[in-house]
Amino acid sequence: MEHVNIFIKAVFIENMIFAYFLGMCSYLAISKTVKSAVGLGFAVIFVLGVSVPVCYLLENYLLKAGAMAWISPGLATVDLSFLSFIMFIATIASIVQLVEMVIEKFVPALYTSLGIFLPLIAVNCSILGGALFMQEREYSTIGQASVFGFGSGVGWFLAIVAIAAIREKIRYSNVPAPLRGLGITFIITGLMGIAFMSFMGVTI
Amino acid sequence: MKPIRKIVDKVKPNFEKGGKLEKFYPAFNAFETFLFVPEHTTPSQGAHIRDAIDLKRTMILVVISMVPCLLFGMWNIGYQHYLALGISDATFMQQVGFGAIKVLPIVIVSYVTGLTVEFIFAIIRKHVINEGFLVTGMLIPLVMPVDVPLWMVSVSTIFAVIIGKEVFGGTGMNILNPALTARAFLFFAYPTKMSGNEVWINTSLKEGQQVVDGFSGATPLGNAAADLKENIPGVWESFVGFIPGSIGETSTLACLIGAAILLFTGIGSWRIMLSVFIGGYLMAIVLNLFGLNTLMQLSPVHHLVLGGFAFGAVFMATDPVTASHTNTGKYIYGFLIGLFAILIRVFNPAYPEGMMLAILFMNIMAPLIDHYVVQANINRRLKRIRIHDK
Repeated sequence: MEHVNIFIKAVFIENMIFAYFLGMCSYLAISKTVKSAVGLGFAVIFVLGVSVPVCYLLENYLLKAGAMAWISPGLATVDLSFLSFIMFIATIASIVQLVEMVIEKFVPALYTSLGIFLPLIAVNCSILGGALFMQEREYSTIGQASVFGFGSGVGWFLAIVAIAAIREKIRYSNVPAPLRGLGITFIITGLMGIAFMSFMGVTI
Repeated sequence: MKPIRKIVDKVKPNFEKGGKLEKFYPAFNAFETFLFVPEHTTPSQGAHIRDAIDLKRTMILVVISMVPCLLFGMWNIGYQHYLALGISDATFMQQVGFGAIKVLPIVIVSYVTGLTVEFIFAIIRKHVINEGFLVTGMLIPLVMPVDVPLWMVSVSTIFAVIIGKEVFGGTGMNILNPALTARAFLFFAYPTKMSGNEVWINTSLKEGQQVVDGFSGATPLGNAAADLKENIPGVWESFVGFIPGSIGETSTLACLIGAAILLFTGIGSWRIMLSVFIGGYLMAIVLNLFGLNTLMQLSPVHHLVLGGFAFGAVFMATDPVTASHTNTGKYIYGFLIGLFAILIRVFNPAYPEGMMLAILFMNIMAPLIDHYVVQANINRRLKRIRIHDK
């Protein structure tokens, strides 16, 4: 039940896009067609789902104050948490490299349509955000951390796919000229945020 | 009608190209086509479809179908008011009169502000005024609580028309239902005026009057969320609508009359209405199996007649612009609205009225549903071609 709660919270209530506005750059840039949005969405789910548990292990067995006590009792006083940013970023970057190679090998069409934004997942704020939220919220087991990472990815996926479908739909709308493109996308994101507020406060 | 026609013809040259008031042509055009059958015809090439129904007539029919809700709402406002004051000898006319005094200003404010914004946009952007606002302007008062300040109605209407509709290019282009956008805007911006126990029944007191003992003013769903089982009215009472709530939403009966008009004229989609009710019914049954609190124990039928469920299903979910466009999509869209509405009701203690938010959420998801329905169709046909090729 705890896991379900964390998952729903990560997908709907504390949605990376609509609650924290993280990962906006690729969200705005890749949401022109549903097809590439789905591709990027899955990539983000994968990266978040893998990187958050890995960062969890690093955090709890290496970085936190006293985390290295399992190696030898002498290290129980060492606190490496000042290294967490650089460690997390390095972890995320290497996982993104992995994803990039896999996509290039197996889905070359998607690889070209994502272009520069695929390697840029490494600096997608929602990924580092996921790792840092995990650190801040101090999940007690790796299971919870993985569910949180996976759920955040699903939330991000849902957001980008939904807005991509909307943008495909309004492509022929008579939007006022100054708002065309990014302007209207920001407004849509805001309106979607209102709709997602319906889940605020849900507990199971 | 002849004298009016004469006046219209007389002032018409002023508004046409080269005339003094050329800028205001959209406004003039709106009035002319409102009064008389428009004279424009289809161009000589292209499709020639002869059909009496146009946007204006569609919208007017929707407004007519909302009249039962409006009238019942007016009466109910008065009824609840006199009930709260413990005055049992108020006549029917007194009740309706009190309701009318409270409701009509809201209707007028919503129409005047909304149409003003529409006219300004039409003149600046040089497009014809669409009649979409006729429906929105009627829907907004119907989903407001009776005690809402008029300036809030006005602000939310402006927000809904500009941000909800005009920035997308006007009628037919919006992604969220404008009336619900207005309500959601107020709901999140001024929660004290849009929820709680104070706003649903007007208790303005004259000298020498006082509220009856034990008066609470909460909506049935508010009571259910607070686990006050004895304060929830019965199914029949809620079906007819003798319950506190937003102006037009209380009576499921009036909504069903509206639904009958919409379905008979073919304007509302029966697929959406049906699947909303099925979705809500099934979800309520599932939650009954758990039955952990009062809201979960409410019987499915009771869930469907309380709050804005019927109103949302009939008038909001069927909005042809923001709903799914494909037939399969409509079933999915409606079903999920019903499901989410009951889910939000039950699991979100802050928002016992989940219908509005469920519809807004599905408005967002509707283009995605359509996309995949269309894609599935394309794939199926491609497969058929491949089989024939072999």
